[in-house]
Amino acid sequence: MDNSTRRLLQRLMRRIPTPLLKTTLEKWGRLTVAQRQSMDFTQPKWAVTEKLLAICEENEWTAKQITELEMIYIIDNPNQGMWYAFQLMDPEDDAHSVELMQFKEQFKSHLSELVRHVSVKIKKHTDEAVWIRIAWGDSLSRPNHLKPTYVVHYLQTPYVFVTSLTSKQKPLLSQALVLSTRYHAIKDANLSGRKLTAIRDLLMRQYQQAFPTKYPSPLAEKNHTVSNPRIEREQAGLIANRLQMACEAFGDGMLPQLQSAVYKLETKFKDHTNKTMTERDEPFKCVVKFASTNLLESLRHCASSGIASTPVTPLLSSIPLKGRNYFVITDNGPSPPSQMHASQN
Amino acid sequence: MKMSLLKPFSKLPGLNTANILLVESEEQFQQNLADTLVEETAVTVNVRLAKSLPLPMENEESRPRIDLVVFIINLTSELSFRSAEASLKYLDPGYFLGKVCFMVTNARNASVPTERLDAVRKLAASLHCPLLFAEDQTPDGVTNAAERLLTILKVAAGLVPMATALYLSNLTRCTLPPDIDQPSFD
Repeated sequence: MDNSTRRLLQRLMRRIPTPLLKTTLEKWGRLTVAQRQSMDFTQPKWAVTEKLLAICEENEWTAKQITELEMIYIIDNPNQGMWYAFQLMDPEDDAHSVELMQFKEQFKSHLSELVRHVSVKIKKHTDEAVWIRIAWGDSLSRPNHLKPTYVVHYLQTPYVFVTSLTSKQKPLLSQALVLSTRYHAIKDANLSGRKLTAIRDLLMRQYQQAFPTKYPSPLAEKNHTVSNPRIEREQAGLIANRLQMACEAFGDGMLPQLQSAVYKLETKFKDHTNKTMTERDEPFKCVVKFASTNLLESLRHCASSGIASTPVTPLLSSIPLKGRNYFVITDNGPSPPSQMHASQN
Repeated sequence: MKMSLLKPFSKLPGLNTANILLVESEEQFQQNLADTLVEETAVTVNVRLAKSLPLPMENEESRPRIDLVVFIINLTSELSFRSAEASLKYLDPGYFLGKVCFMVTNARNASVPTERLDAVRKLAASLHCPLLFAEDQTPDGVTNAAERLLTILKVAAGLVPMATALYLSNLTRCTLPPDIDQPSFD
């Protein structure tokens, strides 16, 4: 066991929280029952790490086994770092029949053709997801296991989720993915977030969605508890109306947890009181970013509580509708100033 | 247009009853405040909640005589201030003889521009209304705010012998320091 492997294991052990250590090691399945029993998880973590290192030395395990352990931990705890969504485009005729073994082989061979030193590990998770761990090297250096890229792909769907990918590695991964999934192209899905399950649900429509037709009449006033007969709302109709509008835009169930939404404005500056700016030909560029621990929930609350005006602007409601949280807004030709248009790309 | 003006004496008062109207564009604090206000046992307190004025015509019949109008302004929001300002013109001038007060929240918030507080003070002073500061985040703050409103409300509803709203407002109305427009040096 060389020094880099040792460092890899030490770093991994530092990342895994103590309460999860035991179950993660059990799932790993490399340790014999005797070895597992010999480890005392009540000891401080460095002592457990030393013990595990000794066992690894004894069994002459290499980075291969350690990365296995890392994958098991990451698959169970994916909400670390930013996840970015991509979408494959233009499937070939046989794209829907790609199965795991074929994909595995193809992906590995395509990627190793592109990069000389690369270490790929592929594992199928129970929920049909294929997890890919890529440790990148280049023509001179060996794969760097300390900064791996994780890719999650659902076979037979066009969706791919990626974390910790540098811009240099992006074209390489894209090419290998496109070739091995039998598609023609891949594009940025303009969706990112810290919670993998949330952006997956949003993109693959696996959450309770809002259908405007589902709320034909004023809703039962759920949030508006009539607390006391001596308290009366003058504009109660407004509240019911707002609730309905908010539900039409965002649904009334649980919403996937997104952390941010970014709008890049490339529209002309419009303000009749400021002539100098309005008369400029080039667009006024700015970026508007909304951030929250649960952005969609916040937006729904803003709409239902009246902080944001209703009906909810299509700019906000298209986050769940289109499953994306990055928008570029451009002027839609010679149109009235209020009609902003969320462009398709 | 004339009908939508809220008038202080267009209806008869109820026996041992005081009616308060809380106007808040954000509709957050008013509910808590109302829940506390109606707990008062000495007099019957009815609370009407509104986002802004004018009030809807269809409630005209059921609405009791409003003895006190409170504008709640969240200082961190410009919209909140603008909304209150816009609502003022739907009140009969008679209300400004002691039956209106302003209540601001979040005054301690560091993100509040001092100009906004000054603007609220100027507004309250120009209308001869009291300006109250309230803490809306804690239960204690809500209780305190409700108590202060009740004190004014009872007078405004004519339930306190020897006191009238106009008399009280002379003592409690917001006044401006003469140097409010001077740059401060502290």
